[in-house]
Amino acid sequence: MLTLTSVTKRYGALVALDGVSLEIARGEFFGLLGPNGAGKSTLMSLVAGLRPPDAGTLTLDGAPLSARRADTRRGLGLVPQNLALYPKLNADQNLRIFGELYGLRGADLRGRIDEALAAVGLSDRRHDPVKNYSGGMQRRLNLVAALLHRPKLLLCDEPTVGVDPQSRNAIFEFLQARNREGLTIIYSTHYMEEATRLCSRIGVIEHGRILALGTLDTLLAALPFEEEIRFPAGPATAGLVEQLAGHGAIATVDGLHRFRPKPGYPLSAFYGLTEARGLPDRLFVSQRPTLEAVFLHLTGRNLRE
Amino acid sequence: MKAVFVLVRKDFALLVQDRASLSLTFIVPFALIYLFGQIFGVNRPDPGPRGIPLAVVNASDRPAAARLVEALRAEKTFRVVTDYVKPDHTRRPLTEADLTPMIHADEFHFALVIPPDVIRTDRLGLHLKIYSNPRNEIETQVVNGILQKTIFSNVPQLFAQAGRERAVALIGASSFARFNQGIADAVAQAFGGDADRIRRRMEEGEAGMRRLDLDGPDAAAADPSASAAAAGAPAPATGAGAPAAAPPNLLARIVQIDDVQVVGKEVKSPQATLLVGGWAIQFLLFALTTSATALFYEKDHGIFHRLLSAPVTRGDILWSKFIYGICLGLIQLLVLFTAGHVLYGIEILPYLGWLIVVCLFAAAACTSFGMLLASMVSSPDAARGIATFLILLMSAIGGAWFPVSLMPDFIQRLSKFTLVYWSMEGFSRVLWAHAHLAELLPVLGVLGGIVAVVMAVAVWRFNRGTLFD
Repeated sequence: MLTLTSVTKRYGALVALDGVSLEIARGEFFGLLGPNGAGKSTLMSLVAGLRPPDAGTLTLDGAPLSARRADTRRGLGLVPQNLALYPKLNADQNLRIFGELYGLRGADLRGRIDEALAAVGLSDRRHDPVKNYSGGMQRRLNLVAALLHRPKLLLCDEPTVGVDPQSRNAIFEFLQARNREGLTIIYSTHYMEEATRLCSRIGVIEHGRILALGTLDTLLAALPFEEEIRFPAGPATAGLVEQLAGHGAIATVDGLHRFRPKPGYPLSAFYGLTEARGLPDRLFVSQRPTLEAVFLHLTGRNLRE
Repeated sequence: MKAVFVLVRKDFALLVQDRASLSLTFIVPFALIYLFGQIFGVNRPDPGPRGIPLAVVNASDRPAAARLVEALRAEKTFRVVTDYVKPDHTRRPLTEADLTPMIHADEFHFALVIPPDVIRTDRLGLHLKIYSNPRNEIETQVVNGILQKTIFSNVPQLFAQAGRERAVALIGASSFARFNQGIADAVAQAFGGDADRIRRRMEEGEAGMRRLDLDGPDAAAADPSASAAAAGAPAPATGAGAPAAAPPNLLARIVQIDDVQVVGKEVKSPQATLLVGGWAIQFLLFALTTSATALFYEKDHGIFHRLLSAPVTRGDILWSKFIYGICLGLIQLLVLFTAGHVLYGIEILPYLGWLIVVCLFAAAACTSFGMLLASMVSSPDAARGIATFLILLMSAIGGAWFPVSLMPDFIQRLSKFTLVYWSMEGFSRVLWAHAHLAELLPVLGVLGGIVAVVMAVAVWRFNRGTLFD
């Protein structure tokens, strides 16, 4: 459905996107995972037609995506990172404006507004100024404003920033429901749990490059370890860290050592060392690697650094 | 194009929801016109300054000097101070020695001294002394002008007496007396009357002056004392030397000026008609610059991203702002002129059509100025700061504060490059000169040219800038 081929975008000397190639199929819920400044918003803005690429091509259903082509843009919906709403106007007025910009009029527009507000539980507040809404309500309105014209592809640029857990959950369920109905979604985030929960496929992006691309399972399977053992960093475990050198990778994040054994290194050997050092078992937590481990493995740093 | 109108309607919806903007559009103009009108004394029957403190020290014992003091008291421009109030609240007449310390103490800025030698024998004319602190140039000019007018209008006898005493000094008292007696004898012989009485009246400097002081063709008949003097009859009991009522228009009777007003004589509220245009355009510039800086709000809240991801172009956004600005400006100008009509009687209804046309062009020029400003800065605060400077500058040199004709040549040439000047010129041509299309075309052409150039630069700047990033 959406194809990016060797897309590059520069801002002066900064290369925001560096030869990104990507293909997104119809009905996918694609997650773009990366820290702030990785290039997620730039990629979103290029797909949304907000700015042109310096090199490479973008096509939607085979047609070039261009800022000048209104027909291709009718197939897109953008949920910007900011609350792109008029706070002094009410929900009804906001949706009417955005609907009319897509050429919707009359009963059709009224029907879609009713439907959208009902879907995000704002029907009874439709005549209240948006500035009087809670943050979560504003986010929900921000979301449905991009769907009024029923786009084929929805671009969500970190749409849950600053949202309480309850509203976040409501947004997730809403998006999952739309995706089940066939809407293709590109969802950029730096929250691994969001990408893990929502996305059928994930692209890990850093410094303008896609470092890894695949389903969660394929990304995890690509890791050179199956288990990760976490234990507190400190004098008590310093000797153990020295002994583990050569048997796997050790990274230290947020005061915790993360030991990823080399393939074939038996965990019994690890626990033999801890026992010999008199370290209690409760210090050690063994778990299957997560998306965070994937990012750490790919970049050498934590996603939230 | 549909997107443009959706966005214009959106801006009006925002205006309706914003009480501050609504009051700025519909209520503030009325308050502004009312206040400015009061400040400038529009439609007051006798506009002009009032109550400027003027200390007067009369050290002369001549009756005409007392008459001058009374004339100054009658002049509304002045509040005449003749007494010094002592710390114990008792009063005594001001002396010349009091003046300098009192002017230093800022009790008044001007003082007139009528010295004992107000009429001198060593030179022709009067001798008066003025003490001043001319810290306000306009006030100084007003005081000097009104003082001169009052002196020349109210004390013709002093001039006559000054002339008589100068003549005595030059030819001697006996020669002067013989000369006067000769004239008096000739008058008595030709017209009748008592030659001695006629001579005395001449020597007092009264003869003939009262005729000049009186209004109307029947002045002599209306003034029994003058008639009596001329006829040698006894004067009525007003008494020689008693201060008479100040004659108001001696100069006007000496110099007849036929004032033929060619343009604007049928304007009902001339002062307001000329002033309101300047206030209106200045207000509009501030209002529309604020409106243009709303672009920054939409940028900062990511609204442009949402709009530009829809079938909306940058051009649509800029055009919508431009059209909205013109509509808002047109409404505000019409509200301002309506306020002028309601409060000060400016006649707008007979000229409404052309007034709307000029307002449309003026609003477009002001909007383009606001958009140019928004395109050249990176934040609304910066826009407001620069706008204040530029608007005040344009208003000053464009003639919104003072007539351009009072400014130096260089500034007069510069003013032609301001939209304030051409907007005011347009208002003036419609409301003052009642001009029609042919006379308005040059003004509209210049305003249209300003709009085209300024908007071209603004759009170019917007496309090169970061507003839509």
